[in-house]
Order: sequence, then C-alpha cells, then structure tokens
Amino acid sequence: MKFAAVVTLVVTLFAGAAGAENVSKPIPIGIAVAQTSNVALFGQEQMNGAKVAEKYFNISGINGTPIKLISQDTGGDEAGAINAFQNLVSKEKVVGIVGPTLSQQAFAADPVANRLKVPVIAPSNTAKGIPQIGEFVGRVSAPVAKVAPFAVTQALKLNPAIKRVAILYAQNDAFCSSETTIFQQAVKRQKLEIATLQKFMTTDTDFTTQATAVLRAKADLVIISGLAADGGNLVKQLRQLGYKGTIIGGNGFNTTNVFPVCGKNCEGILVAQAYSPLAQNPLNKAFVDEYRRTFIKDPPQFAAQSFTAIQLIVEGLRKVEIATKKKITQLDLATVRVELNKALRKGSYMTPLGEISLDAEGDINQHSFYVSKIKMDISGKVGVFAIVSVVK
Amino acid sequence: MEGFLQNYGFLLVTLLQQSLLAFSLYFPLMAGQLSLASPGFYALGGYIAAIMSTAPECTPLREKLGTGIYPLEWLAAGLISGVLALVIGISALRLRGIYLALATIAFVEILRVICLNLEITGGAIGIFDIPQLFAERWSYGLIFGPLLLLTLLFVYRLENSRTGRALKAIREDELAAGAMGIHTTYYKVLAFVIGAVLAGIVGAMSAPFLNTWNARQGTFDASISYLAYVLIGGSRSMWGPLLGAVLLASLPELLRPLKDARLIINGMVLVVASIYLPQGIVGALGRLKRCVVKNTSPMGGER
Repeated sequence: MKFAAVVTLVVTLFAGAAGAENVSKPIPIGIAVAQTSNVALFGQEQMNGAKVAEKYFNISGINGTPIKLISQDTGGDEAGAINAFQNLVSKEKVVGIVGPTLSQQAFAADPVANRLKVPVIAPSNTAKGIPQIGEFVGRVSAPVAKVAPFAVTQALKLNPAIKRVAILYAQNDAFCSSETTIFQQAVKRQKLEIATLQKFMTTDTDFTTQATAVLRAKADLVIISGLAADGGNLVKQLRQLGYKGTIIGGNGFNTTNVFPVCGKNCEGILVAQAYSPLAQNPLNKAFVDEYRRTFIKDPPQFAAQSFTAIQLIVEGLRKVEIATKKKITQLDLATVRVELNKALRKGSYMTPLGEISLDAEGDINQHSFYVSKIKMDISGKVGVFAIVSVVK
Repeated sequence: MEGFLQNYGFLLVTLLQQSLLAFSLYFPLMAGQLSLASPGFYALGGYIAAIMSTAPECTPLREKLGTGIYPLEWLAAGLISGVLALVIGISALRLRGIYLALATIAFVEILRVICLNLEITGGAIGIFDIPQLFAERWSYGLIFGPLLLLTLLFVYRLENSRTGRALKAIREDELAAGAMGIHTTYYKVLAFVIGAVLAGIVGAMSAPFLNTWNARQGTFDASISYLAYVLIGGSRSMWGPLLGAVLLASLPELLRPLKDARLIINGMVLVVASIYLPQGIVGALGRLKRCVVKNTSPMGGER
C-alpha cells in the first residue's frame, strides 16, 4: 500500500517534466527578490513596484491575455537565489525572471537561468560584469560608473571653491565598495584632492573615528558610499561634530528610509539618481499615482526599476505575439523564452526611468539621470528629493 | 528522473554539502572542543579554488591539467587549511569552552575582513564566472556524495579506534584523560585539523557549485547554522550531524509554499528541539529505543 503511494508520487513528479508544453494562462512571470534577511528592505520595495506593474499592465494584458506574477523569496544569500530561480524555471514554468536583489546573488543564480535558456532582467544589479554572465541576462539598473559622477560635477557647480574631499565607504558592501572607486576616479578627474579615505561597516553605529578624521583633514566635500542606516547615522554624527560643508550621498541614500535616520541633518545631501518620482513623463505619472494610492508614499528607485523590468517583459511578450502572429499561450514554453529574450533587446521603451533600451549584451542604455538635494520639513521627519538638475 | 533532478538537484547537493560542513564541526566536538572556525576554512578553500580556476596567473596550469585542475584545487585547499589549522590550533586550543569559541569566531572575522580588502579575492563583489566542473547542479552530488561517504566511513572507523577513544576521554574529562597518559594537546589539535581540512575541501568543491565566491560565504551566521546542525541532530553520534544538517537545511526549502510563515516554523523547530531534545534527535531516538525495548521485554535491562 505504502509502496504504491510512493510509486504514484514519483511518477507524478516525473510526468511533469515530460515533453514540450505550452505557456499556461495567465502568463507566469517570475520575480525572485529578497523578502527576508537583511536586504529585505530593498526586496520589499522591488516587490511593491512589481505588484503595481502587474495591476497596471493587466488592464490590457498581452493583447488580452492576463499576466501573473509568481514570487519566490531569495533571502539574502547565494544558495537561496539559486533555489528560487530553479523553482521558478522548473516548477512554476515562468517565461522570464525579474531579480535577484544583490549583484553577488546574480553571479550565483543568473548562470543557472542562462544555462536553462530563461531570460533574466535584473532590476537592481549594478556591479560590473552582470550582463556578461550570459546572453539571457539583461538589466535595467544603470551601472554605478554611469550615475555616481554626476553628483560630483553638480557639487562643484553649486560650490566651485571645493578643494579637499573626504571619501567614506562601507567596505563590507559590494555596491558601496565599487561605487567608491567610481567616486574617487571622478574626484581625481575634477583635479580635487582626496584629503582622507575612511572605511566603515554597514553594521557600525558609532562613526566618531571617521567623523573626527574628516574634520581633522579640513575637508569641504564629503562623499559617502553607505546604506541607509549606517550612512544616515554617519551624516548625523558628522553634522553633530560640526562639519558644515557639502555632503554627497551614494545610491544607498536614494531612499526615503534615510530620513528617519538622520532627521534634520539630512538637509542638503546631494544624491545622483537613476530615477526620480518627479520626472516628467506620462507613464511615470501613472506609476507614481498608483504607487501612492497603494502604499501612501512616493515610489523609491528600487520600485521604479522593478516596475520597469516587468514592463520590458510585458512589452517583449507583445512583440513576440506580433512577430510569430500567434498567442503566447499557443506557443511552447522554450520557444517563448528564446523569442522573448531576443525581443527584449530590440527597440526602445518609454518607462518611469525615461526612455531606455537594452544593448546587444543586455546592458541598459538610459538617457536621463537626476541630481537631487534632500529637503527636510520643519519637523525634521518628512523630506523630499528635490531635483537640482536633469542630466541628459 | 531528469525533471526531479532539475527541480531538487541543487537542494539535494546542498544537503550533502551542509552535512559535510556539520562534520567539520563535529570532529573538534568529539574531543569536546567548541570550535566555530569551520566556516573560515570553508571560505578559504572556496577562495583557493576560485582563484586557481580564474586567475590569469594560473592559466598555463589550467591548460596543462584540463579537468585535472579540480582535484588539485581540493588538495591545495585541504593542505593549506590543514597547515593554517595547525598554526591556529596549537595556540587557540590552549583556551577552553567559550573562550575557544570566541577565538575561533575572531579567526573567521579576521579572514573575512582580509578577503574584503584584498585585490586577489575580488573585494566585496568577490570572484565570479567560475569555470564549471559539471553543467547540471545535481551532478555536483557526484563529488560531494563520495566525500560524504568517505567521511562517514572515516568517522565510523575513528570512533572505534585508539584515537577515537582518546578523543572521547578528553571530551568527558580533560584532566582525567591527561592523568591517564593521553597527550591532550596533540589529540585536540588533531581533531581541529581534521575538521579544518574537511571544511577546506568542501569549500573548494563549493566554489564552482555556487558559480561565485565572496566574503559572504562562511560568516559567523554560518558558524551558528553548523553548530545547530550538530546540536539538533545529536553531538554524541556520527548520525547526529548528518540528520541535523539534512533536516535543518531542507526545512526552509520544503516549506517554500508557506511563504513568510516558513521562517517562523523553521525557528519554532529549532526552539522546540533544543528545549525538548537536549541530546539531539539521535539522542532522543536512542532513549526511545531503549524505552521500547524495556517495555516489550521486561526481563531485559539497560544495556
């Protein structure tokens, strides 16, 4: 009796894999981001953006066929990302995957999807080498090298007297440590002097050492590559110890989560952004309105990028339908995946990030960036990123 | 069959890998030494393999050896880990109990910070695009599986040998063992080195398995997981680490359909197991077996 049950179970497990199969309806799109662990803060914002995208694009669907988001938690580690990807590809039979949250996770999980010929669009992987993982890997997150230097040029425009720069970064974070090298190059290109270079950990809470070093070096510009919690605290302690000059925050500051950390002291931080909720384009307006209605706040960059990733897959699927003159659900899964991957790299897209396209390798071509200044209200609790300049 | 391996292959191999890491902690524990250094050697082994398979300096070696480079990586990782463990072991094993645990945590942290700052280890991003030994994830079971079997065989033989009995004697009472003429430092360092060599080899095998290697591998969190495997499984039997690792590593994945609730259940299993099964699952099973035997045959006493 027991033996028979085991046999039935095994047979049903194997039967699922046999033969070619069509795409199911509604069309499954996978999203694998961190919903738990210490990167969940970003992962949840990405999830929110994707949910708004699902609702928005299902108004018309893929020429009438609805899409369905299938989410798998990657956690914060590499093994979790591989498991989530594997699940989405083999069990959930998705046409494409949006994720994962961290670049390190992408280096582990993307090769798995690439070998299985499933298109991946990375919403937030900014490290060097991501699109080069394979032909099925693309991204909508502009590499750090592109975005960061704009903040330095803007700071010099606002205050041409700047001479001495202090650079601080979180050495245990992949994003921050690659961002800081970009900042250092940008500073050298502007012929400024790096007065001091300080390291900290994303888990630190006391930054007295770094702050006093900055004051001792008599810096008139501070550039911080850190995440919201540690970076915010660092700014707060810098200001409390009497630093009066300009502060540039890296992309870790590009979130409203930083406001409660440094409060009034956030005032004036310059941040280069790949996305601004204030950007003028019809789709961004629709996205921001819907996001505000659902989550009662402005969408952060992570949400906008995952919305964009879903948008690319949706528009890609529409292109596949036009090219093959068939409904997606009439095509077999493997064909859809390959065709979708080709379609993604063709043409340009009008997204909340502005007009973008993917090059042959799958890397993003983004046309507009923003440099914003944090403005806090009198209570010191609520703030906005006010656009200082738009870089085209 | 292929579909099954496609779905669960990675998980199954992860279970083998985690069991091996549990054993790397079990060896020092056989001599009663609570060492949390395994993740450090695991990370080190991974870096050695990753560097050997990606660094341009090693290209001639790779071209000469072909796939033969992989066994060489395992050997190098095992050797280097062993030598490092010998150096650390001789000084750190003078410490006892919680102080040894602290010293080994410090070792893991030092290694992590060094790897974060070195050029050759790729800084915080780490090393990626590591050449693959096999195309499919499940195929990695072909190297982890035999290693696990070898380890089990080794532990089985060790427990019934002179060395195994010496380790147990040290675990029960170090002073008494010393008084009996057992060279306690020698055996403690030996157990520590065996664990480190195993962790180093597993790390070297894991680098291609995970496609990438970075300083997030083998951190303090990992130390705690390996310790949990051994303690929940049972630290007094060779089946303990195996059972603990398989159970605790598979639980979060098997509970995936429960979404957010899975971590709550996972945590509850840990709490309940540590309260009600102080000797681990294997220990509890042993007690249960003795109970049943006693009840069914009242004549038979305790063995």
